Amino acid sequence: MTTSLTTTIRERVQRIETMPAIPAVFLPLLKLLSRSVEEVQLDEVVRLVSYDGTIAAQCLRVAGSPLFGLSQAPKSIKAAVISLGMRRVETILLTCCLGQAFPAKKWALDPTVFWRHSLGCALVCRKFSEMLSATGDAEKAYIAGLLHDIGFMVNCLAFSQDFTRAVELASQDGIPLDEAEHATMGFTHCATGQALAEKWKLPDDIVDVIAHHHAVENSQKARPLVALVHVSDLLCRMRGLGYGYYERHKVDLIADPAWAILLQEHRDLEGVDLARFTFELDEGVEEIHALVATVFGSAPALART
Amino acid sequence: MTTIIQPAIARPALNKTPETVDPVYRQIRDLVYKISGIYKAEEKLYLLADGCARRMKQLNARTPREYWDRLTAAPSRDAELRELLNEITIGETCLFRSQPQLDALRKVILPELVAEKARQITKRLRIWSAGCSTGEESYTLAMNMLEESDRLLKGWTVEILATDLNDRSVETAKAGIYGDYALRNTSDLYKRKYFSTVDEKKLQVRPEAKKLITFSRLNLQDDSKMLFMKGMDLIFCCNVLIYFDGASKSKVINHFFSNLSFGGYFFLGTSESLMKLNEQFHLVHFPGTIAYWKPSLSSGKL
Repeated sequence: MTTSLTTTIRERVQRIETMPAIPAVFLPLLKLLSRSVEEVQLDEVVRLVSYDGTIAAQCLRVAGSPLFGLSQAPKSIKAAVISLGMRRVETILLTCCLGQAFPAKKWALDPTVFWRHSLGCALVCRKFSEMLSATGDAEKAYIAGLLHDIGFMVNCLAFSQDFTRAVELASQDGIPLDEAEHATMGFTHCATGQALAEKWKLPDDIVDVIAHHHAVENSQKARPLVALVHVSDLLCRMRGLGYGYYERHKVDLIADPAWAILLQEHRDLEGVDLARFTFELDEGVEEIHALVATVFGSAPALART
Repeated sequence: MTTIIQPAIARPALNKTPETVDPVYRQIRDLVYKISGIYKAEEKLYLLADGCARRMKQLNARTPREYWDRLTAAPSRDAELRELLNEITIGETCLFRSQPQLDALRKVILPELVAEKARQITKRLRIWSAGCSTGEESYTLAMNMLEESDRLLKGWTVEILATDLNDRSVETAKAGIYGDYALRNTSDLYKRKYFSTVDEKKLQVRPEAKKLITFSRLNLQDDSKMLFMKGMDLIFCCNVLIYFDGASKSKVINHFFSNLSFGGYFFLGTSESLMKLNEQFHLVHFPGTIAYWKPSLSSGKL
């Protein structure tokens, strides 16, 4: 990419300042939650969330929605964690934050489709990471998956016209969205996502994931994590959590360079039954559809704040 | 063609949460997978539970735990597992059973095969429906190929070989007469185009689709006959290998690998897997479905 293009992207991303900003509680929350579940202090989370009344209220409403089938709606974040577990509450909190930064509007890419893919990828990353090693950083993988495509939201905000053409081309020809971005815009969501991630001062490894998940070989700082997200992204797109159109290509994971990187890191991968893993992934799909519908307002049980 | 794209994943009611399922069913699910390669995902566990319930009634087993004992203790276990597999796959016998497989076939695989084989003198595709039972899958394939005959497959010859162990099934398949249940996924468009009316309740496949298919009896475990099945571009073998023991399964799969041309594909049933019985095939993903690929010579991935 040329220097001038990089500058253009940076400038446009800087101007997103006027757009809905990420809630102040998001980054500290992210930092807190990227620790393993056992290490996360419930009190810290509760204290943090209490600074943002909107997020706390929205989180409680989602937690009390029919989706989770609790007989009584939780009255505090602490109660929600006790009934639903830290992981579910964490998912709800991060989703609510991101939902506030990028509220559902009619964009080039339907935000509900976008968040389904992001949450799906987060879940697959965590599952994959847990399968590969007991001591691995499953929470980090979850957050990396959640944020990997954040550049698409930047495109919707800062390059709306060009990106609309890219989305049209992709769905018309059934090609991957990043290929269509290259063809129509000359850059992809990886570049715009990287600019936003740097502006938000996200951790280095997350920036690396956002910048290189379509070209793992260019990754510098966190190659195994980038490879993990790359593979999970492909799996999601093949298992009903893609971008809402039919991608006309086959995915041969074992022949993918990212697979070789993961194999180097985790010898156990050799013994993994990929077919069974694929079938198991389908198990979380329903909950993701319901969660996104609840947070982003298409569910009747919840009015948007 | 029909443009109905079915969701890759069925949507169960959310109230069937995993917590409400007796943990024994997860044990049964794992046993069924280990022996047959059929995997019922958590959200489809109730289908497995329904199948078990029907078997439990037959056997007068009072609890899932009691049924587990029947499934695992000699001498009943092999026969009982077979009965259970019948129960959980019975609903899958119909035309247009798996739209994701058909989409992969028409949107990705056919264009790829046609491009790969374009330089060959005879433009011919060979498809094998191995364990075709009463012919539903074979006719579905024939109709889908006919849909492409004026476009992608213009100037191509398509041969579909449909084989089954059971003579009676083969005879039923040849007749090509189906009722509502077998036709529940078949669109009106296809019904009008490829079927004639037999009576109020039954339709028969028209000669146009029939003539693409050769039905015959074949035992997949007959090694000498299996060696003759050469030059296949596609093999479909859905819910057949689930009844084979590990060694026989391995043997048949190795045959299939040889039976396929380079660049050919092998499809199993929608929730069925080869587990890790063959490392030569590449497991590949398409939207909503998986298949096994014998890499083409040009791909350099052999």
